[in-house]
Amino acid sequence: MYALLIYGDDSSWVDLPDDERARLRALELPEWHALFDELREADPTYAGKELDGRRTAKVVTVRDGERIVTDGPFAETKELIGGLFLIELPDLDEAIRLAARIPAARHGSIEIRPVLQ
Amino acid sequence: MQYMALIYADEDGWGELSDEERASWYARYRAFSEDARTAGVMVGGSELDATRDATTVRVRDGETLVTDGPYAEVKEALGGYYLFECASIEDALGWAARIPGAEHGSIEVRPVYSDPTDPEV
Repeated sequence: MYALLIYGDDSSWVDLPDDERARLRALELPEWHALFDELREADPTYAGKELDGRRTAKVVTVRDGERIVTDGPFAETKELIGGLFLIELPDLDEAIRLAARIPAARHGSIEIRPVLQ
Repeated sequence: MQYMALIYADEDGWGELSDEERASWYARYRAFSEDARTAGVMVGGSELDATRDATTVRVRDGETLVTDGPYAEVKEALGGYYLFECASIEDALGWAARIPGAEHGSIEVRPVYSDPTDPEV
């Protein structure tokens, strides 16, 4: 089982007006659906989740029994995780092939991590 | 509403633990997962292999670039996640604070996006 973690810079994206974001989303949607078909073919039980942008991210830590909550994503990098796929694949080569098919690989990065069973 | 709790922690520290210490952390994670499952909050979760086994893929100008290693070299790396079903982000933060890794690492809580016009996304 592999996790394909999608990293991208959403800073320009989150500042767009809602209708413009919806329009750009609709443009890319057919490509994502083609990807979903391909992932389903490789593993009918694959799972995918898209995460909200950085504005709604919160970080929780507990130190000496005290809970501390801060706003924003954990990493201070421009790019953050925007979503992930979990998929059962025969080998890393197949994971690389499918990772390259993710539309976000063209502007962001896909990190492939084996999942511990 | 679903929330993802991403667990960031120091991988080197984990590697330095004794087998007994690691077993004790795993037992705490199992107990936490069981509590979350019993409460109907737990939707899923996975532990990821160490970042030294990561591979990063980018496509630029139509060419696939593959590099060994994680997307970014960081001291505290993503080591796993939970997926929770909670009524509010406050509830999700409450559950996230109970993840054992919150005591030494950091838990990033992110609402899962769902497109109202497209149930598959």
